[in-house]
Order: sequence, then structure tokens, then C-alpha cells
Amino acid sequence: MSSVRTRILEDSQGRRASFDDIRIGESLGEIEWQVTDDLIDLQCQLDQDFDPIFFPQAEGGKRVAPPQITYRPPRWLLSRTHNVRGLFVRWENESFKAIEPGTTLKVSGTIVEKYVRKEREFVVYEAEGRDAAGDLVFRTRRTHVLDVVERSAPREGAGIDSGIKPEKI
Amino acid sequence: MSVIDSKVAAGHELPTVSKKFRLEDFKRGDEKTIHTDYDAAAREGLPAPVAIGPQVAALTFRQLRLCFGDGWIVGGRYDLSFRRPVFVTDFCVARGIVTKTERENGKLRVHCEVWIENQKREKVIAGTASGLVPLAGESA
Repeated sequence: MSSVRTRILEDSQGRRASFDDIRIGESLGEIEWQVTDDLIDLQCQLDQDFDPIFFPQAEGGKRVAPPQITYRPPRWLLSRTHNVRGLFVRWENESFKAIEPGTTLKVSGTIVEKYVRKEREFVVYEAEGRDAAGDLVFRTRRTHVLDVVERSAPREGAGIDSGIKPEKI
Repeated sequence: MSVIDSKVAAGHELPTVSKKFRLEDFKRGDEKTIHTDYDAAAREGLPAPVAIGPQVAALTFRQLRLCFGDGWIVGGRYDLSFRRPVFVTDFCVARGIVTKTERENGKLRVHCEVWIENQKREKVIAGTASGLVPLAGESA
């Protein structure tokens, strides 16, 4: 039995981004995002981490968000610019400041690199988040493979999933 | 609270954090995605739905939060590679080991090698991470 492997051409959000569409140095724009108590609850639920550091018990105790709550906004920036499904393959991050509920982060990103390895196409983008005071809260560098299937495979057909999703955790 | 203090040395094993995933862990409403739907995954060239990477990496984040407490929330760094797909019903365990320590702005930065294994003991996520701990005799 033989099967022809293909890369998805399009999905409900339009044509998938090609490697050539993505330019090194290209801005991914900026997004403002408020971290609320509900979002912290949801992140802790997803991660199954209910440590008191995220759920202070004493009245007046300072609540903070898990640092990984910042995963989504940079991904949304990539999705706003390019319809990329693929897979997330590398995640670098540094946290500079605790994120308390009510914090509004201004997140901006840029495509910094792209390369081909093992016949697959990778894009690298960097993003940082700053609070209302302009202080750096986090910095991240992400690598994404555009397709699971090798780049020699033709693009055709429609995907069910899309990299462009509702902007929520 | 953190379980690692400034007396830690290279070779110290981090506490493990593990989870048996279920497909339901990755559902968001009725959305059909490569994380929840066999056909959606197959069209992308995947043999089965794959876990959402950050939700698997969260095992490592729990481990590091446990180790460093506030020194993970502020000052935590990581560089993780998603080396193999994690399928949505896999068992995963986060492991790690301290590799070195160094002083940084009045604290001790503890560097670790971290990884997550699946039920076959294959490393599915691997990389490095570090957090800060107060130096002995100094307040956090």
C-alpha cells in the first residue's frame, strides 16, 4: 500500500503561510492583554498546578500568575500575521517581573530567523511583554515548524485545524 | 516556599512531577484540532492527536516552581525543545538534575538540565532551566 504525503494548502482561515511568505525582520505587531484572576484560574487548571503561590490563603496575600501564562499572546501575534498550523518545537523564556492580576501587558514580536532542517521549514520569532510602567516582564524566543510533513511534499487539500484561533487561553 | 536552597550542588536530582494525560485535557469546546481529533491530526501527517506542548511542559514548570518558589516566578529561565510528539493519552514524567550554580546579583542561580519522558522512557521534551535562590544568611 502506498500513501502520498501532502502538506495542507488551506484551512477555514485561508491559505496556509508558505516559507517564502515569512520574512526575517518582519514585525508581528503588538497586542495589549490584561491578565485577570479568571485567566490565572484557568492557567492553573490547565497546568493542574494549585500551589498557594497562585492562590494566596491569607487576606491581602499577593497573588501572582504562573509565568507560562504568557505563552499565548506571542502565538496570537504570529497567527495574526501568518496562517501557521505546524508544531511548536522550541520555547525559550525568561521572566523578569511577577505578573499580578490586573496587569496589562503590551506584547510585541518579530520574526528573527528561518531555516530548513531535515527537509522541514522552521521559523523563529521573538517577543517581549512590558507592563504599563514599561518594565520588561518577560522575553521569549519560539521556534515553529511549518509542517509535520517534509517540504518536498506538495501542498494540497484542506486542513480541519488552523493556527488561527480565538484569542483566549 | 522552595525545596532547593543555596546548599544545593551539581548532581542534585529535582523532584519528579508526572501526569497521565487524557484527550479531554486538550479539548476547548467543540473545536476539532490536531490535539483532539484523529482526522485533523491525520491530515497534518500525524498518526494520532498530539498533546498541546505547553501543557506537557507545565510538568517541568511545576517542578521548577516547587524547586525555586519566588525565584522561579521572577528570574526563571528555560530553553526547552519539543523533541518528539506527545500523544494525548501518554504518561509523562518531568525529571531534572542540577548542573551548576553561580552567584547573580546577591542570589544564587541554580542551573539544571530538565527533561520529560514518556511511558517508554523516551525524552519528549529536553532542555535547560534555571531559577534563583537566596544565598545562605540573606533574606529572599
